Amino acid sequence: MELLDRYLNAVRFWLPPAQQDDIIAELGDDIRTQIEEREATLGRTLDDDDVAAILKQRGHPMLMASRYLPQRSLIGPVLYPAYVVVLRIVLLWVMVPVFVLIVGPIVIATAENPTIGAVQTVWNLAMAEVFTLGVVTLVFAILERRPLRELETWDPRKLPYVPKTTPSLDAGKPIPRATAIADFILGVVFTGVWLRLAWYRAGFDLDVLHVTLAPVWNVAYGAFLLTCLGGIALGWTSLVWPSWIRLRSTIRIVIDAVTVGAAGVLASAGTWWMLTSPKISAADLAQAAHWASVGMKIALAAVAIVSLIDVFQEARRFFGARQGSAK
Amino acid sequence: MHSRKMNPELFENLRLELRRGCLSVAVMVQLRVERYGYTLRKSLADAGLEVDEGTLYPLLRRLESQGLLVSEWREENKRNKRFYRLSPDGERILGQLLDEWQGINGSINRIVQGE
Repeated sequence: MELLDRYLNAVRFWLPPAQQDDIIAELGDDIRTQIEEREATLGRTLDDDDVAAILKQRGHPMLMASRYLPQRSLIGPVLYPAYVVVLRIVLLWVMVPVFVLIVGPIVIATAENPTIGAVQTVWNLAMAEVFTLGVVTLVFAILERRPLRELETWDPRKLPYVPKTTPSLDAGKPIPRATAIADFILGVVFTGVWLRLAWYRAGFDLDVLHVTLAPVWNVAYGAFLLTCLGGIALGWTSLVWPSWIRLRSTIRIVIDAVTVGAAGVLASAGTWWMLTSPKISAADLAQAAHWASVGMKIALAAVAIVSLIDVFQEARRFFGARQGSAK
Repeated sequence: MHSRKMNPELFENLRLELRRGCLSVAVMVQLRVERYGYTLRKSLADAGLEVDEGTLYPLLRRLESQGLLVSEWREENKRNKRFYRLSPDGERILGQLLDEWQGINGSINRIVQGE
């Protein structure tokens, strides 16, 4: 019976002290009775393998003990939906934007090495998320253990009103979450890159070539930053209000308008840079400047055309959404 | 038409849900006569209601803590055993539960026949 004793001892470990003796005595008697009955059927004493088979059929000691305990949960089914909503809001909609838009840029801008600063920001975000998760869980676990008087004293007349949605903003297919997240992340990345690498730079050194930027770029800095921030706003609003098609279209049209305007200002300048190099001949530099200018004209034209097409599409979506809602 | 491959766990879950309430009634009926756990389980099995011990003993404890059963440790065949039987409160509640069960059974039969 050594196996049985070991089994009972293992079950005992998981039981509340006040009930251990009682439950183990009854469980032990039940298993012993089963063993005796089996021995009577087989006409022999059970060996360890037979007893092990019986015990295995009874279940793991922890599982066996759990059946004697009341069902317990850290957060019960009543509060669980609220717990998930709060976690989603705090971890996703508060912590991430705070770290991406405020903490991250400060850490990266003040770090000696921007890459280390970025890694440090991600690590800090992860730690803050874990800490917040623990605090929110603890608060809900405490709430779970106090009587929820609100569930008995509630008044249907105090329920929040259904918001009066603006039909023109609600019409149309909701924006996929992946699109919204992509817009947001791209906006943040472009903003960071623009501020870090290009913000009001006088020029660039490319190997043996020095590029001095023309004054007209001063207009482009602000305009491009505006479009990047617009991308963040686009992603954010699409995440929070995925059905607000007209809001999204409006933001996109504004971004496109700023882009076309900046492209127009740049195109009107005609000269965008001056190339100098101690190792390249003046003729070769002139040739390089010519082809760079051709490339710039093509790029500006492409940007303007793509933006205008987008304006057209978004305008159609904007008015289509309004017509759709009027039905 | 929406068709979905039947999940075998689904039936098992519904079956267990259906059995859960019935099992309490069956145990209370069987404990109109004093029994200990092992013989109770056998009597239920003989009546066609197999119950594993991991379900039965916790149920007995719950019913006892609710005052529906009483138990005492007594020696039988040179071994201490815990004998259970229905308490006076248990008798009263069982009567009400059986009435309820008859009512539900009748309703289900009428609903099924009315299909």
